[in-house]
Amino acid sequence: MTHNSCTQKILAGSVFTVIFSATPFPAYAYLDPGTGSMMLQLLIGGIAGALVVIKLYWYKLKGFMTGKRSSAASTLTKKKTPPEGKG
Amino acid sequence: MVQDVSAPDSSPKAVAGSFRDPKGRVYVKNGRIFRTVMPVAVADYEFVRGTGLLDKLAAEGHLVGGSEVAASELGLEAAEAAYVLEHDRIPFISFPYEWSFPTLKAAALLHLDIQRRALEVDVSLSDASAYNIQFKGPRPVFIDALSFKRYEDGEFWTGHHQFCEQFLNPLLLRSILGVAHNAWYRGNQEGIATEDLARIIPFRKKFSWNVLSQVVLQSKLQSSVKGAGRKTVAKTVAKKQLPKAAYQGMLERLRSWIAQLEPADTGPTVWGDYAQQNSYEGEEAAAKRKFIHDFTEQTKPRQLWDIGCNTGDYSSAALDGGAMRVIGFDYDQAALERAFARAVSEKLDFLPLFLDAANQSPSQGWAGTERMGLAERRSADALVSLAFVHHMAIGRNIPLDHLVDWLTGFAPTGVIEFVPKQDPMVQELLGLREDIFPDYTEEAFVACIEKNARIVRRETVTKSRRTLFLYDSTR
Repeated sequence: MTHNSCTQKILAGSVFTVIFSATPFPAYAYLDPGTGSMMLQLLIGGIAGALVVIKLYWYKLKGFMTGKRSSAASTLTKKKTPPEGKG
Repeated sequence: MVQDVSAPDSSPKAVAGSFRDPKGRVYVKNGRIFRTVMPVAVADYEFVRGTGLLDKLAAEGHLVGGSEVAASELGLEAAEAAYVLEHDRIPFISFPYEWSFPTLKAAALLHLDIQRRALEVDVSLSDASAYNIQFKGPRPVFIDALSFKRYEDGEFWTGHHQFCEQFLNPLLLRSILGVAHNAWYRGNQEGIATEDLARIIPFRKKFSWNVLSQVVLQSKLQSSVKGAGRKTVAKTVAKKQLPKAAYQGMLERLRSWIAQLEPADTGPTVWGDYAQQNSYEGEEAAAKRKFIHDFTEQTKPRQLWDIGCNTGDYSSAALDGGAMRVIGFDYDQAALERAFARAVSEKLDFLPLFLDAANQSPSQGWAGTERMGLAERRSADALVSLAFVHHMAIGRNIPLDHLVDWLTGFAPTGVIEFVPKQDPMVQELLGLREDIFPDYTEEAFVACIEKNARIVRRETVTKSRRTLFLYDSTR
């Protein structure tokens, strides 16, 4: 459970990190598009999004292997070449 | 939503399923279908009309035909409308919980194809409701002209979530787990929630990129924003833009994925082999075909219902004889899939639909009227029901008189087969159970029919005395 909610927070966080400055877009529609769907669109819409998630998990795994704990936010701000992955 | 009504009425009636979108409503008047375009929708409507997309899609048969008419055609209901459109009638309204796998798949592909075509001319769809697709024969037709809007740079695919629930997830339920979507979809009319599907997909099936992203990840993301932070997250996401290329890429990817989905339990082999399976035709089948052929040649029905249509042998005989179109119903998913494949490959005006005859579609949805039940959609002028009665009477314990009343209530004339107790099929049904059906006899069956109609013709087609009865309740 703790692990799950942690994963979810990291996922949510990663989406925001992917998002750089953008002009506000009024997202009104008679249908609620669903926040999860919009986040997913941002994620899989841009290769950058996918790469960041892979990078994030790469660091998590590396941290786990080496025993070093590092927060999601700090790994994301580190300037490192992301590993190859599918977009 | 356009819904069918059997009796023409001079005062316009708002169609119960068309209230969700404030951009307009659908009305039925004298059997004609009208749609209002409200002032709030005018800018979008005029833009979309200007692109020529609607005309093109309608000409190709992908969008229901429609034209602007004078507001007076509709009457008072048009008072506040900026435009009034009149649409072609859809011969029979069906719902996604009545569709078989290939039918739902055809609808999903049409939805995606329309989206892709629309984006090319800067038009997008405001929703992804499966109820906006209807069928003419096996051909899907989009029916909601007001779902089209001007594409704004950077907009999200608003209908994505709905597309997943109403099209993708029900297809995945069958193609990953081998479970047909119909019962679940009928229970939850919005389709199958991504969170629910994510919970039941086996672990080993979660590793394809498509399943991982569209089901697992989407469900995780959705649940990650529940609770206190929800508002902030929603606000932040809403400020972002989705590049058009990303939007289009997602449509392409989903399309190619869905195009290759097949049911997990039957597989693609079923599709092609109906012709081989049916290539030998015994005397019994030939006699039945001829009986049905003669019947429709004489009656020339506009719409014939084939209850227990199986793979569509007798639906096709009815069409050969002169029926204009056939709506078929069956319980067997594999048979429905073959029937659909037959309708497509032989270009038949034949739509096979799922029906559990002992538990037909009720009127349901908002206020119990949004989606009409099967009884409310009765629109056949002829009926065919072969090798069906014994399944219901013996297999499901439905009393013979109830069954005959139910069947003959669908159409004023038709052909019903009686399969007597000595037939091997009935013996099989009775194989493991006590025979509690002393009244299941041909005499009793005839008496039940004659309560409602005249028997015009009868023909015994097997040694076991399977008999076809042509009834007529009009004279």
